Amino acid sequence: MKHITFQLNGSARSVWVGPNETLLDVLRGKLGIKTPKEGCGRGDCGACTVLLDGKAVRSCLILAVEVEGQSVTTLEGVGQKGPTALQKAFIENNVFQCGFCAPGVILAASALLAENPKPSEAEVREALAGNLCRCTGYEPIVKTVLAVAKKTARQSTSRRVRS
Amino acid sequence: MSKRSKKSDRWVGQSMIRVDGDGKVRGRTQYLNDIPYKGVWQGVVVRTPVAHGILKAVTLDPAFDWSQVVVATAEDIPGENIVHMHDRTMPLLAAVGGEIKYRGEPVAVVAAPTLALAQEAARHITVTADELPALLTLPEAIKIYKSAPKKFDTMQSKRIVKGDVAKGFALADEIITGEYWAGHQEQLYLENQGVVVFPQQDGSIWAEGSLQCPYFPVHELNDALRLPPEKIRVRQTPVGGAFGGKEEYPTMLIGYAALPALKSGKPVKITYERNEDILFTPKRHPVWVRYKTGVKKDGTFTAIECDFVIDGGAYLTISDVVMFRGILHCALAYRCENVIVRGEVARTHSFPSGAFRGFGAPQAVWGMESHLDVVAARLGKKPDELRLQLHARPGDITPTGQVLSSENGSTACLQLALKRSDFARKLKESSRGRLKRGQQKLRGIGMSFFGHGAAFTGDGEANFKAKGRVELALLEDGQPGVNIRVSSVEMGQGVHTVLTQIVADAMQIGPERIRYPMADTGLVPNSGPTVASRTTMVVGNVVHRAAGDLKAQLEAFAAEKFFKGKACELRTGKFVVKGTRAIPFAKVAQAMLTECQNISGKFEFLLPPEIQWDQGTFVGDAYPGYSWGVNIAEVEVDALTCEVAVKRVAAVFDIGTVINPVSASGQVEGGLTQALGYTIMEKLGTGKDGLYDATRLQTYIIPTILDVPEFDVSFVEYPYSFAPPGAKGLGEIPMDGLAPAIANAIAAATGRRINQIPITPEVIYQALHADSKGTP
Repeated sequence: MKHITFQLNGSARSVWVGPNETLLDVLRGKLGIKTPKEGCGRGDCGACTVLLDGKAVRSCLILAVEVEGQSVTTLEGVGQKGPTALQKAFIENNVFQCGFCAPGVILAASALLAENPKPSEAEVREALAGNLCRCTGYEPIVKTVLAVAKKTARQSTSRRVRS
Repeated sequence: MSKRSKKSDRWVGQSMIRVDGDGKVRGRTQYLNDIPYKGVWQGVVVRTPVAHGILKAVTLDPAFDWSQVVVATAEDIPGENIVHMHDRTMPLLAAVGGEIKYRGEPVAVVAAPTLALAQEAARHITVTADELPALLTLPEAIKIYKSAPKKFDTMQSKRIVKGDVAKGFALADEIITGEYWAGHQEQLYLENQGVVVFPQQDGSIWAEGSLQCPYFPVHELNDALRLPPEKIRVRQTPVGGAFGGKEEYPTMLIGYAALPALKSGKPVKITYERNEDILFTPKRHPVWVRYKTGVKKDGTFTAIECDFVIDGGAYLTISDVVMFRGILHCALAYRCENVIVRGEVARTHSFPSGAFRGFGAPQAVWGMESHLDVVAARLGKKPDELRLQLHARPGDITPTGQVLSSENGSTACLQLALKRSDFARKLKESSRGRLKRGQQKLRGIGMSFFGHGAAFTGDGEANFKAKGRVELALLEDGQPGVNIRVSSVEMGQGVHTVLTQIVADAMQIGPERIRYPMADTGLVPNSGPTVASRTTMVVGNVVHRAAGDLKAQLEAFAAEKFFKGKACELRTGKFVVKGTRAIPFAKVAQAMLTECQNISGKFEFLLPPEIQWDQGTFVGDAYPGYSWGVNIAEVEVDALTCEVAVKRVAAVFDIGTVINPVSASGQVEGGLTQALGYTIMEKLGTGKDGLYDATRLQTYIIPTILDVPEFDVSFVEYPYSFAPPGAKGLGEIPMDGLAPAIANAIAAATGRRINQIPITPEVIYQALHADSKGTP
């Protein structure tokens, strides 16, 4: 066992982990973090997506020992003071159905918009290509991410004009 | 909480925000594996090593420490070793000395305080069997069906007969035949199967899990567990997708978990990992369907003869009704006086096939709509023109003798879809196997037209009498509101939202005062399983009427207590009498809750008396109502790599009243995407070892965000007036028709007819490079 310390949703956390434990197992099993879901356990479905130093990764493919000193964000750490613009739009547009893929999709889309605030449709699809959804047909996901990006870009432009 | 257009005072027809949206988007929804149960043991299923044989022994390794583990075998079943589904043949666990009928049949259930220990213990159990020859696949069964029909092993047969096909064939100018095949399909809900069973002090059990039909285990495990229905209580946890996959199977899973739970007194949870879920849960039935059709030169059908055989697997479970739904859709959509449809459920030594969105109808529509294009091509007719000429419409008589009502948008669906897709022009421009200079992609467009019987097949709804209740209660904020009490589960389809909309309109109170708790058989009447595209239509009507009943009770109370006996009306949250001051809902409801107990509105669903059905002869009104749809697919086939890209899908549906347009479109796009996978990606065969040949998401490929076409979804509304607010089925019909539309588009692109799905690049390659030309 190894004792690791990392930032989890903005706070430092320490935990003993085994050499073969995945980040997903440690989050769900030891730290009570349940929004990353296990859909396949081998990196195919994206339901366990978390942000590692801001990048979307599949927590079932990351060994927990690797995250020592890094920063991990799960859906628990997103919109703590109320839903983000992206979450609001996902809610308003009735995007998700069963909701099991939602945490992973939201984190992957958030990482995309943080890095590339004005993505093209192709870039949105590329960024979310690792997140399977069996309910929606993906169309409302793509449209909502693009709409939020457009709205955010418009707002930041108008802020610049005012200042 | 909700949005409603300013123009309307109704919630039905508005894209109200999902009541479960906030919880799901903010990560607060707790699925089964997220719930922090304390002291729950983990169960693991031990299975047969052969597909067919005699179970010799189940041996526990004497060197292993079994003191921390409980093992249940068939000997531990308290009652009869049977899961009571549509017949009483399937054992809960395979017993020593008994016949093993499929690979992976459960033999024992091991439970331990940790999953690791349970898995370790399971590895120390040896199952031995004397192997017998196995018949594993539908093609093997069909070989027998064709060559030695008397030896063909069927679990259920049924015929539909209308008119006289011999006479019809005699009148025909041409007789055109075709055979069409489809493989297994995995539901691939993202949340795997899971249940937990809590044994109670009085010997009863309480089960929770990811399931569609809370009342199924209550009525199907009585013999095995020797428990009456009132001693089996089942509650749904939030369901992370189901699509039929959590219809009949969770009953078995609860049965498996109950055995070690009852033996040890510990609560036992069984959750599958992905590969176990793919290998050992039911799939869509593979099908072989053969059409022989007599046609006149002008295109009219003089006779339709159809054989429809599905692979039921080793036990019947629910396959009889899948076959019934299949044959009822084999010749539904077109005018013809002389029809015979023969349905069979083939028995094979494979995992029992089960429910999957569409339930036999997609297999039937795949055959019929492929065949219709074959007929059109042979007659030199355009596929759109032939469908416009022949399609079933109000007043027409179906193969079972049902007269189609005027609440039928079949013609409107066809006209709108053809227009929106610019079908005629694009068909003319289709490649037909010829690449223009510089082109690498063959282009084509294809269509399908189909109906879908809404609600239970035959007299199902008449016999079932779905029950529901809307009860007055104090909500969690201490203020009055209502609870919807039905057994229909939320599994992503949006039932919690649409029934809330229906109750809001019927009660005339805001949706923020309405709750729809998770279905729990201890608290809800039996409104039926969440299946068969029946919930919005049937249960929606039940809660509409129940809410009306409760509203009338409130109005009577308000009239007496607040309006000196003058009749009043509850309208948009207030009780009103002309000329007096309105009184808010909360005030009257609070007073009524103080004075009376158990205030609720109730309703039991009935069909109109003119609906008649004979289950023996399959004559009469096969469904209370029909939804209709048209799918048009545009494809590109890469002539070099043989890859198919579906670029655009136009879909028009008549689902009666659309309750929530945004959610309805979402459900349609999701269903079309599953149908896309069924048609060109999702391949699942059976290996010689009796196991499915794909076990994970790298080998069983479902559509990603990069694979989906542009969707153009529209609705035409022909409401089902008998059951306000007038919905017909929506859940399944998006799965029904895209496969033949794509195959027809591929035929238009390549000039080759492909009569099997999935149409993988290998299949295209063979079709393009076959020596003899396929039928375009």
